Amino acid sequence: MELLELLNFYVIPGIVLGSIYALGAVGITLIFAILRYAHLAHGDLATLGAFIALAVVTALGVSPLVALPVAIIATAAVAVGIDKVFYEHLRERPKIVTVMASLGIALMVRSVVQVVWGVDTQTYTRGIVRPEDYFGLRIRDRELYTVAAMLLLVGGLQLFLTRSKWGKAMRAMSDNPNLALLSGIDNKKVVMLTWIIAGGLCAASGFFLGLNTELKSMMGWHMLLPMFAAAILGGVGRVEGAVLGGLIVGIAEELSVLVIPSEYKAAMAFAILLFMLLVRPTGLLKGKVL
Amino acid sequence: MKTKFFALAAGLMTATALATAPAKADVKIGLLGGISGPIAAMAPAMIDAAQLAVQQVNEQGGIGANEKLVGVVGDSACNPQNGTDAATKAVNIEGVVGTVGPHCSGAVLAAAGSVTIPAGITLITPSGTSPEISNLEDKGTVFRTVPSDDYQGRALARTMKEQGYGKVAVAYLNNDYGTGLAGAFKAEYVDELGGEITQFAAHEEGKASYRSNLAELAKGGADTLVIFDYGDGTGLTILRQALENGFFEKFVGGDGMKSDAVINELGAENLASFVASSPVGEKSESLDMFNEAFKGVGGDPDAIFVSNSYDAAFLLALAVEKAGGKKEGVAAAMVEVSNGEGESILPGEWKKAKELIAAGTAIDYKGAAGDHNFDEKGDVPGTYALWEVGSDGYEVVTEMK
Amino acid sequence: MEFLGLVNYALFMAIFIGIYALLALGLNIQWGFAGLFNAGIAGFFAVGAYTSAIISTPPADGRFGGFDLHFVLGWIGAMLAAALVAWPIGKICLRFRSDYLAIASIGIAEIIRLVIKSEPVLTNGARGISNIPRPAGDIGYMESQVAYLIIVLAVLIAAYVLVERQFNAPWGRMMRAIRDNEDAAKAMGKDVEFRRLEAFIFGAALMGLGGALFAHFNRAITPEAIDPMVATFLVWIMLILGGSGNNRGAILGAAVVWIIWSVSEIATDRLPHEYAVQAKYIRLFLIGLMLQLVLRFRPEGLLPEPLRGDQRTAKTGADQN
Repeated sequence: MELLELLNFYVIPGIVLGSIYALGAVGITLIFAILRYAHLAHGDLATLGAFIALAVVTALGVSPLVALPVAIIATAAVAVGIDKVFYEHLRERPKIVTVMASLGIALMVRSVVQVVWGVDTQTYTRGIVRPEDYFGLRIRDRELYTVAAMLLLVGGLQLFLTRSKWGKAMRAMSDNPNLALLSGIDNKKVVMLTWIIAGGLCAASGFFLGLNTELKSMMGWHMLLPMFAAAILGGVGRVEGAVLGGLIVGIAEELSVLVIPSEYKAAMAFAILLFMLLVRPTGLLKGKVL
Repeated sequence: MKTKFFALAAGLMTATALATAPAKADVKIGLLGGISGPIAAMAPAMIDAAQLAVQQVNEQGGIGANEKLVGVVGDSACNPQNGTDAATKAVNIEGVVGTVGPHCSGAVLAAAGSVTIPAGITLITPSGTSPEISNLEDKGTVFRTVPSDDYQGRALARTMKEQGYGKVAVAYLNNDYGTGLAGAFKAEYVDELGGEITQFAAHEEGKASYRSNLAELAKGGADTLVIFDYGDGTGLTILRQALENGFFEKFVGGDGMKSDAVINELGAENLASFVASSPVGEKSESLDMFNEAFKGVGGDPDAIFVSNSYDAAFLLALAVEKAGGKKEGVAAAMVEVSNGEGESILPGEWKKAKELIAAGTAIDYKGAAGDHNFDEKGDVPGTYALWEVGSDGYEVVTEMK
Repeated sequence: MEFLGLVNYALFMAIFIGIYALLALGLNIQWGFAGLFNAGIAGFFAVGAYTSAIISTPPADGRFGGFDLHFVLGWIGAMLAAALVAWPIGKICLRFRSDYLAIASIGIAEIIRLVIKSEPVLTNGARGISNIPRPAGDIGYMESQVAYLIIVLAVLIAAYVLVERQFNAPWGRMMRAIRDNEDAAKAMGKDVEFRRLEAFIFGAALMGLGGALFAHFNRAITPEAIDPMVATFLVWIMLILGGSGNNRGAILGAAVVWIIWSVSEIATDRLPHEYAVQAKYIRLFLIGLMLQLVLRFRPEGLLPEPLRGDQRTAKTGADQN
C-alpha cells in the first residue's frame, strides 16, 4: 500500500477522530484526578454542546465556528449547574454514588436534547465538502480546524494549569487534596473551575464530532467508552496523556480494519487499553493509580 | 420497610388502574416503537404514519358502532427488555386488541414470545426483518408488512445485474437488518447471477469515521458501493465520507437508505449516482394516496419504513373491524382482509372498507408498501422499485422483479 | 378484564424483578462484599443466556448446537459457562483496582457483545436464537406467568439463602476484611487474590443464571439484549440504590428501580395525545430525576449494609472508595 494512501485514508481520519476523543478525554481525566470519579454523563453533555451550537447556527445564521465559543460557554455553565444541583451534596459520600448520579444525569441531558431538538439527524452545513490537496495529502478545512482547535484548547489549558494560581491549585488538589485544603485552597472554586473546563471541552468535542459527521441525539453516548479508554490509556490526571491516548485510540481504530474484520473496529480501543493496563497500569504518561 | 414499600407499589398500581380505566368503550391498538435507543431517529415518523391510519379510521366512521380507535404509543427502545415491558403494558394495562410493532426484530421476538403469543394478541411489525420471525411458533398471530430480508436482497441483486452494474463492494450494518439483506444479496448476485463482489464487510453503528472501512472496501477495484444501513444513521455517515473522499462512483442502498435525511444533509446535487430500493404498492396509486395523506398531516413520506408502518396499522384496523372488535378473531381476520381476493381497498379508504365488511363482502387491502398477501407464516412477498434522487425528491427508476 | 390485566402486569414485573434481582445479587457479591467494580455485567448475562439457549434448543442449521436438553441443564450450563468466562478475566483483570477494573470489564463486555453479534456459527450472529423452550410455557397466559414466577422466585430464594449464609459465615467476614483493608487482611495471611477471584466467579455465575432465566422467559435471545444501559448500568443503579453490601437491599433495589423504569411510562402517557412520542423522552428524564432524588435523600441506599460487631457501637463512616 502506498504511503499517501495510508496517510490519507487511515492516519489523517485517525488524527481527526483522535482529536475529538482527546477533547472529551481531557475533561474525563480532570474529573477523575480532582473529583475522583468516573463521569458517565460526559458523552451526553457533548451532545448537548453540539446541539447548542446548532441552535446558534440556525438562529443567527452564523458560521459554525462562531457558534463554538457560545456552545463552550453555555455547556460549561450547564456543567457547573449540574454539579451544584446534583453532585455537590454527594461529595462526602462514596464515589460510586456520584457515578450512579451521573448516569441519571446522562439520561436527563439526553432527554432534554431529544425534546428540544428532536431526534432527526442534522448537520451544521448542508452538502458535502471535498478535500483540498496539500502535496498529495487530502485534507478538509474542517479537519484542520478540529486538530488546530484541539491543540489550542489543550495548550491553553496546559498553560493555565502550570502558570496560573488557580491552575496550580487544581494540580495541588489532584496530587494531594488534604494537603491542598490545609494550605488554604478553596475547594469549591477548584471544583467549579474543573467543571467549567470539563464542560467547555466536552462541548468542543461534541461540536467537532458534529462538524465532521452529523448531529444525532445518541452521538455522545456512543463516544463515551472510547473517550474513557483514551483517558485511562494516557494516564489518569495527565492532560497531555489524554491527548496522546485520544490520538492513539483514534488512529488505532482507523488502522484496525487493515488487520481485523471491520465489525470488530469498536473493540480496538479496549484491546489497546487492556494491553496497556497489563504492561503499564499507570498509563502511557505516568498517571495516578486509582 | 418492606411492607411500606409493597404498600407503595400497590398504591402506585391502583392509581395507575384508576387513571387508565377507559372513559368509554374505545378500541385500542398498541403502537410499539423503538422511540428511545438506537433507532430513535426513525421511530417517530413511523409512529406518526401509524397514527395517520388511526386518524383516518376515526374520521370515516370509527370502528364498529361508531367507536373510537385509539393508538397507544409504547417505547420498546429497540431491546427485548423494554420491548416486553411495553408490550405487557399495552396488552394488560391498556387492553389493546393488537399491536403494531415493536420495530426491531429482537424486541419483536421477545415481545411475541413472552407476551402477545401467550395472550393471544395479534402482532404486526412494520420493520422487523429477521427470518427468525417467520419461524416463530405463533399460532398464526404474528404478521409483518415488511418482506423478509431475503426477498429484497435478491430482487436488488437481479435489478442491479439488469441495470448493468459490474463489480461491487458491500458495506452492511452489523445487525439483523444489515446482515440479512447483505447475505441474501450476496447469494443472488454471486452464486446465481455470476456477479462479482470484491469486498464484503460489516460495520458497527455510531462510529465517527468510516474512512478506513471505505478505503478497505475500495481495494478490490469495484466502482459501486452497496450500502445496507439506515440513511439517517451510520449509512449517512458512510455515504457522506465516500462522496467526500471520492471512493466509488455509484452507490446503491436498500430500503433503509431511501431516507429524506440523505437528500437534506448531502444535497440532491451530490446524489446523481445514488439509487435505493424501496417498497412500492403494486397499484402505484396506493403509494401516491398514502404520500398525499401523510404530507397532509405534516409527515414526510420519504422517511424510512413509514409506508410499512401505515399499512400495518391500517391492516390491523381492518382486521379488528372484521373481527367485530374482539381480540380473539383479529389474527384470522387479518388474513381474510388481505389475501388477494375480494374488492380492492386502497390506503385511506376506510369508509368503503367498513361498508363492505358490514355487507359481508370480501375485501383485499392493497397497501402503500405492497399488496400484503400474507402467507401461512404471516409474511408478505414484497413489491419493490428502484429509486433515484430527482430534483423533487425520490423518483422511480424501474420496478424490481 | 381490567383486574386480570393488572395481575398479569404485576406478574410480569415480578418476573423481571426476580431476574434483575439475581443480577443485582451477583453484583453484590462482587462489589458489595469484595469491592470489585465490575461494569461488564452484560457480558456474563449474555454468556449465560446464549449458553442456555444453545443447550436447550433443538438442533439448528448453520450454528453451533442446538442440543435439545432439559432447561435445567441449560441453566446449570449457563452458570458454569459464565464462571468459566469469568475465570481468565478475573485472573488477568482483578489486579486492577476500582475504576480501572470498571473500564476493563466494560471493554470485555463490549468485546463479548461484538463476538456474539459477528459470529453466526456460534450464536446465529445478529439474528439471535429463538424458539427457546419456556418451562411451563404451553399453558395459558396467566398460568404460565405464575408458573414461571414460581420458578424464578425459587431460584432467587435459593440464591439469596446461599449468598446470605456465605456472608454471615467466616468467608463473608474475610471478604469484608479484604474489601475494607486489604493490607491488614494480607498481613493476617489471607490469600487476597484468590478470594477476590472466588467472589468474582460466584458473582458472574449468578449473572449467567440471570441471563438464562431472561432468555427462557422471552423464548428468544438477541444481541440487542446486551445493551450496556439495560444490562449493566441499570443493575448498578439497582444495587447502589437498594444498598450495596446488603442482599435484601439488592433485591429491594431491583424492585424499586424496575418499578420506576416501567411505571414511569404509564405516568408520562397521561400527557396529551399530541405529545405521545415526546412523552417517552420525558420518561427518561423522570427516571433520571427519580434516581437523583433517591440518591439525594438515601445516598447510603434504601437498606444500608448492616453494621456488624464493633461497628454497631462505634458507627464509623466507613467510606469504601
